Amino acid sequence: MAIQRAIAAEGKVDAGPNWLLRDLMGLAAVLAVAGIGYLLFPNNLALLTRITAIALLVLSLDLVTGYCGIATLGHAALFGSGAYAAGIAAVHFDITDPFAMAAVGAVGGAAAGLLAGAIMLRGRGLAQLVLSIAIVYLFHETANKASNWTGGSDGLAGISPDPVFGIFGFDLWGRTAYVFGIAILAVVFVLLRLLVRSPFGMLCRGIREDPVRVSAMGASVNGTLLRMYAISGAVAGLGGALNAISTQVVGLDSLSFTTSAEALVMLVVGGTGSLFGALVGTLTFMWFEDFVSAINPFHWLTIIGALLIAVVLFAPNGLYGTATQLLHRVWNKR
Amino acid sequence: MQTVFSVGTDALAYGMVLFVISIGLSVTMGLMRVVNLAHGAFAMIGGYIASYATQILGLGYGVAILLAVVGTILIAIPIERFLFRRIYGAPELTQVLMTIGLTFCVIGIANYVFGPTLKTIPLPETLRGPVDLGFRSIAAHKLFAIACGIVVAGALWVLIDKTSFGVKLRASVDNAAMAASLGVRTKIVYAVSSAVAVGLAAFGGIVGAELLPIEPYYALRYMVTFLVVVSVGGAGSIPGALVACLVLGAIDTTGRYLVPEYGEFFFYLAVIAIVCVFPNGILGRRS
Amino acid sequence: MKKILLSAVAAVALCSSAFADTVKVGVVGPFSGPFAIQGKNFKAGIDAYMALNGSKVGDDDIEIIYRDLPQADPAQSKALAQELVVKEGVQYLAGFYFTPDAMAVTPLLEQANVPLVIMNAATSAIVTKSPYVVRTSFTLWQTSAPMAKVAKERGVKKVITVVSDYGPGVDSEAAFTTTFKAEGGEIVDSIRMPLSTNDFSPIMQRVKDSGADAVFAFLPSGPTTLGFVKSYNDNGLKGAGIQLLAPGDLTQESDLPALGDSALGMLTTFHYAISHDSPENKTFVEAARKAIGNPAELSFPSVGAYDGMHVIYKMIEATGGEQNAQKAVDAVKGMAWESPRGPVSIDGETRHITQNIYLREVAKADDGTYYNKEIATFEKQGDPGLAAAK
Repeated sequence: MAIQRAIAAEGKVDAGPNWLLRDLMGLAAVLAVAGIGYLLFPNNLALLTRITAIALLVLSLDLVTGYCGIATLGHAALFGSGAYAAGIAAVHFDITDPFAMAAVGAVGGAAAGLLAGAIMLRGRGLAQLVLSIAIVYLFHETANKASNWTGGSDGLAGISPDPVFGIFGFDLWGRTAYVFGIAILAVVFVLLRLLVRSPFGMLCRGIREDPVRVSAMGASVNGTLLRMYAISGAVAGLGGALNAISTQVVGLDSLSFTTSAEALVMLVVGGTGSLFGALVGTLTFMWFEDFVSAINPFHWLTIIGALLIAVVLFAPNGLYGTATQLLHRVWNKR
Repeated sequence: MQTVFSVGTDALAYGMVLFVISIGLSVTMGLMRVVNLAHGAFAMIGGYIASYATQILGLGYGVAILLAVVGTILIAIPIERFLFRRIYGAPELTQVLMTIGLTFCVIGIANYVFGPTLKTIPLPETLRGPVDLGFRSIAAHKLFAIACGIVVAGALWVLIDKTSFGVKLRASVDNAAMAASLGVRTKIVYAVSSAVAVGLAAFGGIVGAELLPIEPYYALRYMVTFLVVVSVGGAGSIPGALVACLVLGAIDTTGRYLVPEYGEFFFYLAVIAIVCVFPNGILGRRS
Repeated sequence: MKKILLSAVAAVALCSSAFADTVKVGVVGPFSGPFAIQGKNFKAGIDAYMALNGSKVGDDDIEIIYRDLPQADPAQSKALAQELVVKEGVQYLAGFYFTPDAMAVTPLLEQANVPLVIMNAATSAIVTKSPYVVRTSFTLWQTSAPMAKVAKERGVKKVITVVSDYGPGVDSEAAFTTTFKAEGGEIVDSIRMPLSTNDFSPIMQRVKDSGADAVFAFLPSGPTTLGFVKSYNDNGLKGAGIQLLAPGDLTQESDLPALGDSALGMLTTFHYAISHDSPENKTFVEAARKAIGNPAELSFPSVGAYDGMHVIYKMIEATGGEQNAQKAVDAVKGMAWESPRGPVSIDGETRHITQNIYLREVAKADDGTYYNKEIATFEKQGDPGLAAAK
């Protein structure tokens, strides 16, 4: 309920004339954080790139879970499809231009999204959750079986992307990969902001609130959700492609249940139903995980568990969701 | 023909083991409406206590089971009181987050305290080794698991459908406010049923330990299996869970016999097919 | 904690770490999660080596920096390796339990000027990916192929293979099948089962139906082997005299107490048994048991790590603490020494370890514990997997 109210509030503000300003501020915030990351952690860019790739996955998960109300524990199927599409294009078809690889990844992800969506929409609630699990396992097994194409469990190695614009190579320090990733993330972020505010985005939110009513209004519920699934797949696929380009290896883990579950955890930590929530969740979770696992590589899992419990107890709407709520409350008191 | 019987027996045994381990989850998910990903964690705690009781304290198998069930419930009481009560009625995703966090904690602590090795619960002499059924031999502990499954299913059915507690439980689940105003002490009903669910988890963890050995990662390793079985059966439905376990056990076993290479495909395609035909689970109530 | 912070503060640019007083070694392995026991063994092997040989080479202090990688995840592997090299300034990378994780790091090595010493990851091809890779563990080809000879010698004619359906399983199957056929044996069926298999009864039924004299099996060490071996007993295969043959992953020492009587008499081929009888091994086991805390947790990855450290110490000695990957790797090519597992050497061409492979039988000691008893030796085995790949 509270989340719905918060979103309704956000929606109202969005509808106002200053939405462009808000979007620009959002974009500026993303780029500022990215810039600070670059300056503060110049030796950790591979981690930051990985966070960027996963952020794309979490954003895409937010599109279906946060905006359409479809809970899924199998979203890595889309991410991994993008990664494998880009990787296979590079290894088997010699498409090594990073932009082309990203495009292939997006297409691969979208195709996987259509397929997964078509199955997912057959169920509701718990059944849907189980369908999503079945899907990610089927994808995983398919990739494992098709080892001629995917390298199986040894991973698809030998991806060597060309330098960006023929100048900036992907090297040890990972500067190119990071800037490339942030550029993709920024563009995707702006497009998604436009998307979720468009009539199509509103329709999706409507379906989440009350699918029966939306269909009574004459809109096609499944058609809309399927389209959203394809878009979400493209975003996840971009993330996967970025992973393939920056790591130069694609492993079965990119199609795994674990990755899917982690993405969902990150999304809920940040707060569902808001693009900022997805970004905040990814950044917080992955940074925290890296931090505690470096301090104690042996027993850090307990601390992560405690963090998740603490989030539920003290920030039930996710870090971003609860923070905005608090801000709203302070604002209204004035 | 003999092969069919043989594989059929395996399927029945596997299905029953699945049933014993996951039925507790069906109670929490269906009756208490909590997506409890920590179910495996409670099963694992039960397994660790039983292993400790038999290996270190040298107690008998039966005593160890009792001790483990009671011990796990005792451990679960503060968890229910301080953590789970906060998520009754919360959105599903919040429940997922809380219970997965709890699972991580339990894994971390188990790894720290007991180390990462496998822990066994030695069976009593009578349950060890194979038993000859005439057309084949089967492990005695599997027969024991089948018996346990039948007993648990029967007891739960009586408890939920035939006793006044069952009536109160179903009333609280359907409409907590209305049940409370009619004099049902819903808090107690919830506490008792969560204790039952946890106890069943611990019991299942021990009985199934021959098939799913106890180690720190247990809680996550089999989480998906439990979740799938319960959801396919229809959360909260005891007969549904039983049917689902038997059907999925049969599909899994047959698939692994006929085409082991594609065992995983077989299983999950079947899950998708079943869910598409029965979107609320095989015997699930319409929500 | 303090150490890590300090080293983070002290981290300087890559090239200036030459002639440093402290040589850092970055170790990546599964220290938490489902494979935590293997990571723990990495650490035990390293700690044991440093306890026995000191933490100094010449004037240089050796510092180990651990990073956790719970499951195969090449993206994270690369991120960790990059962080270790660029931020922590490590001169050596080591560890790596899973093949894809090692594969993800190989493209970095040349630019980073860092050798990679693999302490476990067992797919043959890794060493070909970069000239800076040295491996001190084993490959599935190396440990599985001798089993085919054992089977032949023992008069086994028909074998069914049962392996987990992933890279190492497929390698193991290929190694056994190729060798056994070359010896004139017959493979009646080959089964690949999903990694997630819990109930092995239907598989055992298949084995029974196949009419084979023996079953060759590979599963990753850990929980599933328990179900597999028990199932083999419970379904009456042991009683029917169908011999179970496997590489030593199935009977790793830390799983033996759980396997108990059901594993008795099982034949495995492997590069190392904790029971190996030599003064070197006695010293090693004593130190490693102390390092790991619970002696029952000691297993084979510890010896890979121990010898890995030996190689790294040699590299540091040869370069005088200077960062020079080529010189370091060249220094250990052809190097031979007496490891706890027996005589070993680093092949000059493949940079993979040449070692004895032992045939072992699970036996019960006088004190009631179980151990792998070495009963035959295949001397100086290279990696047949590399030749097979060509």
